[in-house]
Formats: sequence, C-alpha cells, structure tokens
Amino acid sequence: MDFQSVDDVQKRLEQADYIASKEIATVVYIALATEKPILIEGPAGVGKTELAKAVATCLERRVIRLQCYEGLDESKALYEWEYAKQLLYTQMVKERINTVIDDAASLSEAVDKIASQEDAFFSDRFIQPRPLLQAILSPDPVVLLIDEVDKSDPEFEAFLLELLSDFQVTIPEIGTRKPVTIPVVFLTSNNYRDMSDALKRRCIHLYIDYPSPEREMEIVRLKLPMIEEGLLQQMIQAITRIRELEIKKKPCISESIDWARALLALNTKQLTCETVEETLNVVLKYHQDTKVAKQTLAGIVG
Amino acid sequence: MLKILTGFAACCRAFDLRVSTSEVLDTARHLALVDPLDPREFKLAVRANFAKSRRDQSRFDYLFDLFFHGIRTDSDDALSPGIDRITQGLRKTLSDDPMEQALVDFLDNDPLAFIDQIHALHTMEERPQKIFKSNMGQLSSKLGVMLQINSIKSKIMALLDQGDHGEPDNAGALREHFRERLDRAFALATEEPREHNDALKEKPRATNEKNQLKDKPFSNLTPLEVIEMRAVIERLVKKLKDQVGRRFAVKNRGVIDIKKTLRNSGKFQGVPLNIAFKNKPPRKSSIVALCDVSGSVWSGARFMLTLLYSLQECFARVKSFVFVADLVDITGLFQDLDINDAIEKALGDDTINRNAPTDYGNSFQQFKHDHMNVLNQKTTLIILGDGRSNYLNPQATILGEMREHCRRIIWLTPEQINTWTTGDSEIASYKTHCHEVRTCMNLNHLTEFIEELVL
Ligand SMILES: Nc1ncnc2c1ncn2[C@@H]1O[C@H](COP(=O)(O)OP(=O)(O)OP(=O)(O)O)[C@@H](O)[C@H]1O
Ligand SMILES: [Mg+2]
Repeated sequence: MDFQSVDDVQKRLEQADYIASKEIATVVYIALATEKPILIEGPAGVGKTELAKAVATCLERRVIRLQCYEGLDESKALYEWEYAKQLLYTQMVKERINTVIDDAASLSEAVDKIASQEDAFFSDRFIQPRPLLQAILSPDPVVLLIDEVDKSDPEFEAFLLELLSDFQVTIPEIGTRKPVTIPVVFLTSNNYRDMSDALKRRCIHLYIDYPSPEREMEIVRLKLPMIEEGLLQQMIQAITRIRELEIKKKPCISESIDWARALLALNTKQLTCETVEETLNVVLKYHQDTKVAKQTLAGIVG
Repeated sequence: MLKILTGFAACCRAFDLRVSTSEVLDTARHLALVDPLDPREFKLAVRANFAKSRRDQSRFDYLFDLFFHGIRTDSDDALSPGIDRITQGLRKTLSDDPMEQALVDFLDNDPLAFIDQIHALHTMEERPQKIFKSNMGQLSSKLGVMLQINSIKSKIMALLDQGDHGEPDNAGALREHFRERLDRAFALATEEPREHNDALKEKPRATNEKNQLKDKPFSNLTPLEVIEMRAVIERLVKKLKDQVGRRFAVKNRGVIDIKKTLRNSGKFQGVPLNIAFKNKPPRKSSIVALCDVSGSVWSGARFMLTLLYSLQECFARVKSFVFVADLVDITGLFQDLDINDAIEKALGDDTINRNAPTDYGNSFQQFKHDHMNVLNQKTTLIILGDGRSNYLNPQATILGEMREHCRRIIWLTPEQINTWTTGDSEIASYKTHCHEVRTCMNLNHLTEFIEELVL
C-alpha cells in the first residue's frame, strides 16, 4: 500500500528497521506521491542504500539494483542483444531464407527481401533486459536502486535521463519501450564528482547527514535491544566526538553498531579510556586515525 | 503561493542557484502534499527541489532565510500608509543611480533588483589593473553601497520627523521598521554565503625530519641537490611506467568477451577479426595543471611538471599553465623541447615575470576568458600554489565556475594545513570549490600524489 502521509512513512520505515528523520520521511513521501526519482547524497555509511531497501520492504516491492562503476555501459545497464540466440536462429531458419529470396531476380533484390525480414532478428525475442529495462518491464512494480551513480562516466548519465523523466527507454533498433509499471527510483552518490544539471533537474534531492545523537541511539537500540541505556549514551557521545577529529575516515552508523556489539561482547558496563583504547580498531579503520584518536582518549570518553 | 515561489526562484537565480521552471512547478505539486502549517515541511519540500546538491544547500538556506524571514516582512497594516508615504517621499529625492533606486524598491518590499545588484557585486571581476594592483574595485563598490544606505537612512529619519503618523506611537514603529530593513540591506551587502564542501578531501602530509632528499622541502634544495633529484625522479618515472604498462597490458589478455567479439564480427561477415576482452583498461584522464611559479613555490612546480610530462603517455592529454601575476600557456614548449629544457625555458625570466606580486584572482580570470575550453568532464584540474595572493581579490567564484567545467579540482599546496588560514593565504576561500586539497612540499608527497593519479 502506498504511503499516506509523512508520519506514515516514518512509522512504516521504523517497522522495516529503518529510523528515518523527519527530513528523510518528508522527501520520501513527496517524491513517491509524485513519482519523482530521489537523488540521495551523504557521507559513506549513513544509510543511503539501506533507505532504498527499507522503502522496498514497506511497499512489498522487489529491489532491482544497479551498481555503477567507471566503464559501465548501456549493454550492462539497459539491454543487450542475445547474439548467440540470434546466430542459432539464423542457422535454424537457413532454409526458410532460401524460400524468401527464391524468386528474387537480382542480388540486390534478394538483399532487400532479407532486409525486410530484419525486424524478426531485432525484436524483443532477442533482447536481454538489464536492470534499468527490467525495472520498467516488470509486471509487479519494483524499487530501482542506482547505487553510487557518481562513479559512472558522464556519458552514462545520458542514458539515465530518458528513464528518469518518462520511465521509458528507447532502443534504436526496436523503438521506445513504454513502462509496464512505474518503479520507485533511488540514486545514491558519495559526491565523487558533481552530477549534471540535467540529471539533477529530473530528481528530487535528499542529503543524509550523520544522524543526530538521538536518532543514532534509536538505530543502535533497534539493532541491539539488550544494550544498557547509560552505556549507549556514553558510546554515542564518544562517536560524535570522534567524528569531530581530523581523521581520514569518520566512523559511520555501521561502525557504531559494531562498536556497541563489541562492547556488549566484552561485557562492558561503562566506557573508560582503557575500554575505548582496546576497542578503537572496531571504530577506526586506519592506523593513522587510531593514532590520532589515542592522543585524546580522555577527551573522547568525556 | 505560486507567486511567492516564482519570486523566490527569481531571487535564487539572482544568486546563481539555478532553478528551472519545471522545478518550480514540481515544488508547487509537492507543497500540496505537505502540512501547510508546518514551516519545517514547507522548507524541506522547497529545498528538495531548489537545491540539488549538498554544495547548494548552504546557499539555499541563506537565501531562504533572507526571503521568508528577512526581506519580505509582512508588516502590519497599520504601518503601511506610513511606509508608502516615506518611500514615496524618498523617490522624489532620488538620483538615477540604479543602486539607489534598487534600495528604495527593497524598502518597498520589492527586493529583486537590489539582490541582483548585490550579487553582481559579490561576484564582480576585478578590472585588469596594470600598474597599481589592489583589491579596491570590489571593496570600494561595497563601500559605496554602505554610504548610500547611510544617506537613505538619514533621509528617512528626516522624513519621519516631518509628517504626522496617524497615531502617535506609529512613529516609533515606523522608525524600527526602516532600521530593520536597512540593517538587512547592509548585511546583504557585506556578507556572502559560502558553499558546503563536506566531500572535500583534505590530505595533510606528515613531514619526516630525516634529512633525506625525499623528505627535504623543495624550497630548501641546493642547486646540486636539484641535479641529484633528477636522477631520483628518473628512477621513479621508470618504476611508475612499468606499473602503468602492466596495467594497460591486461587489455589484450584474459577472458574473451564473447558478446563483444560477436558484435564486432558483424562488420566482417561473422569472422571474429576484432577480439574483445573482458578486462577493459582503465580510462586515461586528461590533465590540466596550473602552477604558481612565484618565488616561494616555483621549485615544487618544476618537479611536478617534470613528472607529469615524463608520464605523459599515462594521460590522455596534459596541458599546463604557469602564472604569477599573469597566466601563460606553456603546453607548446613541451611539444617542441626536451622536458628539462622546456621547464628551464618556462621558468626562465623571459616567459613570465617571476618577481611580480602573485595574483591568483587575475590569473584565474585570464584562464576563464582564454582557456576555459580546455576543461571538460574528463579533465582533472591540478592547481599548485600556496594561495597567497598578496591581499588582492581572490575571485574564488571563478574557481567555482571552473569546477563546473571539469571532473575534479585538486589543489596542492607547499604548506602544512595549519598555516592555510594565516596571513594572505586564500586557501580557505578556494577550498570550498576543490574536490581535494593536499600538502605537497617534498618528493615523498609528490610521489604519493602522482601514484594516486596514474594508478
Ligand atoms: N536510519 C537507519 N536505521 C537503521 N539502520 C541504519 C540506518 N542508517 C544506517 N543503518 C545501518 O548502517 C549500515 C550502512 O548503511 P548503508 O550501507 O545503507 O550506507 P550507505 O550510505 O549506502 O554507504 P555507502 O556510501 O558506503 O554505500 C546499514 O547496514 C544499516 O544497518
Ligand atoms: Mg551504499
């Protein structure tokens, strides 16, 4: 069932194990109600991909995911001709070809006759849909997740434009494929490069920042209900302070969850300089960062 | 509602936030969906349509506050006859200076002309100054606006003292109203919104004190050591070329891409002449380098240029410029001469006056006017310099325009991060437009950077 209101989005996402801020819920609600793709930006690990999955869970839709990378092209993203199948069919209908050109007077007439049959070879039968095409041809509506779109080449963005504005795709040999169902589209970006204006115009924009301490506590509580409130509070405060340090990779939500899990496993009751020092490598991935953090342990524990 | 939205859109456009008509219409549709009485939902819906990247969000917030809380006060009706009387009185005394007119329109609840003028002021390019350089163009125009605001203020006060204001306590309220509006105008003229740039990578580099050649700051090398460096760099180039060569060699090895091969064979009656492989070589990027070659930094530029050009075949294209007070395109030198000769020539005094005061703003401006077309979506723009611009107008908005034309901007500075904000360093204003800022003061840093660039 579609979302009914901003509050409804927030409530149902929570049932799908996703704690959404008011901002996230508002943008999701208005985008879905008007069938607009959402372009999500934000630092790594703040739950961009997860949001798309959670929305799919709420709507009971399947997720079709397209992971972008440098060099991704239309034959991997949109559609591909099934050459092997085409060849096989050519072999099988060889005799029929003879009958088609039997009464041709000249070679060029024969070629014309074959050309008039060309459609048979460039038809839906030989098309293998890739994620983008799958998403609009699916009989049940889906959630289409175009992940890390900033990693793709600028040319690739051009393929997306038609899809994002009209949910249709034009295949040169066949023509325009209209959507069977309209997918909910999410695009995520880590800001490796700026997206083109044309793409941005077609989307509605959502920036997900590191969560507020309250929201982050809710997230950890959701994943680890047995954690003690006092420890949780201390831990989230510490994480917030670590994020303020001059470090290479700031800890994200999954690191908070991992840390909480580690602290639980160690049976920690209270955060002290020693426990932080012991478990710091769960939170920080780079040796250099750990070194920086160790210099201000007391400050982190607070 | 639509009228307010289009007004706001016009205001955003005046501040270079591109909002298209379709986006205004989308916003209107979206506003129908949210709770009309909840100001947060209102702002979120507008922002999701008007600011399409994190970079634009801070500018949007600034404009939103201005527009909905600042410049369009829904003044209470008791005051409006008084306001009308004063603004009309003001209009009689006006000169035909556009700024003055815009200011009165602003007081009369029509802010767009004023916003336009102010924005032009913030982004104005310094006129080329040949003999005496200064930052005065922009500063003095700003000063002019402040003086105009003051003179209008005293005119208003005079007008207020003359007439009768209906009820006695209106005078105070009117005075308060105009003071607030004028303060707004003043703030607009003096502050500027700055973009968020959280995706910026800052890479400060540690320096080892071991006095090895690799760790020694470029600026401290003796002439003998410079020659020694050449040998070190040659070895480095060889090593890198080997690695890159191996990387591009995978092109013709590995798993055959059947589909691609079949597709290619279509052209040759099904004979697979042109075999495609699954591992594609990575795409080569094209490089545009802008090097500050003034006294303090030129030694770094020489080594970076040597490396870039020695590794030319690892890039699709390399173009290079040097600047001090003016910008010079030195790409041609490298086509005609051997690398070392080209560099000596580029840094030789006949190409560029190295003793002039460095002027980043002017150099950027020249780049914009003469060379913007060398940038495209595949270019990495490398700027090498300390960003010390002798207190001349930094014209950082031009760097912002350059960003829109290229794929990435990487700024290399020969200083440690903690000195970036001291003295005349403009790195702080430039870095809002860069994708990456890193320290590059010795060979170690440079090697690391070049490795990341080519591998
Ligand atoms: N609001 C949330 N509610 C519940 N869990 C969350 C939330 N946000 C993030 N998480 C957790 O954080 C993890 C990381 O999120 P996710 O992989 O979606 O991040 P991302 O933003 O896509 O990162 P990247 O940029 O690296 O792809 C998820 O597995 C999820 O467990
Ligand atoms: Mg992700």
